[in-house]
Amino acid sequence: MFLPFFQLLRDQGVPVSLRHVLELYEALEKGLAPDLDRLFILLRLTCVKKLEHFDAFEQTFAAYFLDAEHGRVPRFARDFWESKAFRRWLEEEVRRGAVAERDPGLRRFGAPFRAQGDRGSPVRQLRRRKVIEARRYVNYAAAATLRAENLRQALASLRHMVPAGPATELDVDETVTRSSRNGGEIELIFRRELRDRIQVVVLLDNGGSSMIPYVDLVKLVFAKMRDQFRDLDYYYFHNCLYGCVYSDHQRRTPYPLHQLLRRDPETRLIIIGDANMAPAELLISNGAIDYFSKVRVPGREWLLQLRSHFPRSVWLNPVPRSGWRRESSTITSIGQIFPMEDLTLSGIRQAVEWLNAGGTSPRQVGGIGTRR
Amino acid sequence: MQFLGTDRYYLNPELREIVNIAIAMEKPLLVTGEAGTGKTQLAFEIARALGRLNDSRFGTRDSGRDVNNIWDYLRFGPIGRAFQAERRCVLLLDEIDKTDSDTQDNLLDVLEDSSFVIREINHKLKARQRPITIITSNAKRELSDPFLRRCYCHHIPFPAMEEMTRIVRLHYPQIPAPLLDSALPTFYRLRQMGFEKPPATGELLDWLGALQLDGVARPVDRGRILHLGTLLKRAQDLLKYKSRESTGT
Repeated sequence: MFLPFFQLLRDQGVPVSLRHVLELYEALEKGLAPDLDRLFILLRLTCVKKLEHFDAFEQTFAAYFLDAEHGRVPRFARDFWESKAFRRWLEEEVRRGAVAERDPGLRRFGAPFRAQGDRGSPVRQLRRRKVIEARRYVNYAAAATLRAENLRQALASLRHMVPAGPATELDVDETVTRSSRNGGEIELIFRRELRDRIQVVVLLDNGGSSMIPYVDLVKLVFAKMRDQFRDLDYYYFHNCLYGCVYSDHQRRTPYPLHQLLRRDPETRLIIIGDANMAPAELLISNGAIDYFSKVRVPGREWLLQLRSHFPRSVWLNPVPRSGWRRESSTITSIGQIFPMEDLTLSGIRQAVEWLNAGGTSPRQVGGIGTRR
Repeated sequence: MQFLGTDRYYLNPELREIVNIAIAMEKPLLVTGEAGTGKTQLAFEIARALGRLNDSRFGTRDSGRDVNNIWDYLRFGPIGRAFQAERRCVLLLDEIDKTDSDTQDNLLDVLEDSSFVIREINHKLKARQRPITIITSNAKRELSDPFLRRCYCHHIPFPAMEEMTRIVRLHYPQIPAPLLDSALPTFYRLRQMGFEKPPATGELLDWLGALQLDGVARPVDRGRILHLGTLLKRAQDLLKYKSRESTGT
């Protein structure tokens, strides 16, 4: 009776395995689920280990045990379907005849969207469509190489242990060896403590529909980074950097770039973003996408300043390398400022090498242009 | 055994079931949630309900140790003591996310089958009684998948107003209803304002304590929150609040 439920959970992205099934049956035999409420709790305890899966679990449970209609559509999918980008794409596809208007899937999700018009400029609409098409790469990248386990390994090489501070730690092994050599006369050997002194600043592009397809991938990388470094600060930006970044993800609390530029140049700077923006945003002095921004220095200048202050810096682009040229001309321009890597395992390894080398490596980045 | 809450700890019915399932299944329970949701307190209250908080304290046989017996020279930490206890006790691993990933890896065996190896004498110590293990985390850093797999995980959401009323009443049974009814909305509004350290249950209780000592009927006097310092601890947050107040937003 429960096996299809486990299958459903898997379909919704909650990682469950045979182990969980066995655990559940063990608990059932102990009589721990005498009613539906307690079954719900027991199943959740058994299957869900991470907060981000709670919602998917609850919806699946409602769909399976309570036959709730809304449960069939997971929320992450609904969010995506409700995005303007998807609506635009859908309209386009219907117009082209690629998707039948009577398609059952379309009937369910398409109808409410077609009622509303999209007032974006033609250029922006086009770019949005391109972004949607690029989504197929995300699955490819995730399935092929990048997984939570190997990502951790890749980032681990970033750790940089240096002995620091006074020699206060007793080296037991060495003390025993020396003492036996001395014929029992105890000699205490002290070492300096190993400390992970690395400081990391991550700037994350969390705005704009062009990042939508990469949200999951970026989330994964970001979560792993937070896990990996003790001294990690992260800030958010939208498309390009002008004058300030933000310390909250709604981008309400600004953090001036001047302040960032006063930090220790040894700090590792990682920028995660698709580097896909209108060229004007990068080059024109008041190109900032934020209408009220008073900053008159073009985005490119800020990037150059950051790059020269932090020699150990790298740009991670969720767009696969093969798509860079096609995706946007700004990717190439930014690739000339920062070493740029994509979010595959090899890309991240490479990025780590860039960070450790401190910009001294002579290798050209991805063959797109020369670095400064 | 069944854990039913205690006289000074309000136990949400869902959490009660979770604790009892964890006890029955002998699985460690990982509790996450923001500060002040009672994660650590939960462990203490279970221990109190069991009446075995200090059971695993090791004897002081410092004198008269036999040099030929290594066991006279082993000093066990809390995990070892919990494993050796005659009766089942509560083992609290507090703020596990503050430890590094090596420590967490070393704990895997402890969580899986309640045992660890004393490397120096190659002895595997196995628990006589599996302790009731409660682990807390503020989720500052992510825990590894193998670690999570060995636990039951539960996230305690911040108590809603109704639940908070019960919690407050457990601590201050005599509190006047009008004071509480006007204080709670103010408290939740402050929590929404996005401070670096938003006030939590502990701060609320301190604040209500101070207000009661003053004997005031309302927590806000002419638009000013009384004893604001008990709610906002950081200078930055206080300044932020003051600036908003003066601009009237």
